Amino acid sequence: MTAGAGPRVHTYGDGEAMLGFGPATGLQLLVLQPLFEEMNRTRALVSAICRGLAQRGIGCWLPDLPGTGESPQPLDTLSWRDWSDAVPTAIAATGVPISGSVAFRGGALLDGGVAGRHWRLAPTGGRSLLSDLRRSALASGSDPATPAGYVLSADLAGALAAADIVADDRTRTVRLVSDDRPADLRVDGIPVWRRPEPQQDEALAALLVDDIVAWSTA
Amino acid sequence: MTGTAVTVEDQLRAILRDVLGVDAARAAAIDDDTPLFGAMPELDSMAVAGLLTEIEDRLHILIDDDEVDGEMLESFGSLAAFVRAKRGA
Repeated sequence: MTAGAGPRVHTYGDGEAMLGFGPATGLQLLVLQPLFEEMNRTRALVSAICRGLAQRGIGCWLPDLPGTGESPQPLDTLSWRDWSDAVPTAIAATGVPISGSVAFRGGALLDGGVAGRHWRLAPTGGRSLLSDLRRSALASGSDPATPAGYVLSADLAGALAAADIVADDRTRTVRLVSDDRPADLRVDGIPVWRRPEPQQDEALAALLVDDIVAWSTA
Repeated sequence: MTGTAVTVEDQLRAILRDVLGVDAARAAAIDDDTPLFGAMPELDSMAVAGLLTEIEDRLHILIDDDEVDGEMLESFGSLAAFVRAKRGA
């Protein structure tokens, strides 16, 4: 398959979906999407980055976690273990050596399951993701037990509340200039994961592709 | 935190820009008297959730749900005062 073609549709684990972008030889990265509503809001940004990396000769693998995206499994039956186990299962299903991860927001909570180096955009802890879900439910008058339609098992909610981002010398953290938390690089752009209306920021996507290419080939 | 003297107000303006999509010129014009909830059309009840979470993450405070009321979000000044009190500054 040539890099310019659309993504390949794969599966891993128990019928979970995974898209493959770009060449299946050379450098290969696993891409971890944001969690919950932010996954929908960032779909255009994440695909633009995967396509951009593919055009630069880097293979990308984009799994949907169990209970998210195209998953056949209901979210409310899943534990944190199901998510953390999904990462190595997805890697094994690629059939290629994965040299690192590209994670967005809460996806970075799971990149410890990927050997190699970890690139992260605006990583955030589980507690703040849970607060967001709870407050959205309170604000919209829906049941806080099923915030914005998301029903989490007690195990998943408990593990998320304790899950935090840890940076080390294998991580590269990129944040927006408006966010003053520790980062290796700050870029100007739209935090599309915060916008209720789907938005794209082509300039941000191009800039991030450049940074990932430079980081992954350094 | 960066080493530069970034004020609580500067950080709150940046968060409003990010969460609400307010442009730079409009964000810069926000002062203590600028009314927020009920006056700024972008700040609907769902946006309040994102605003509070970003304030917690970036200003390193925790906000209880029962602390969120109309008074806190009445104006930019009242929001900044709330954050300052929380930070003990």
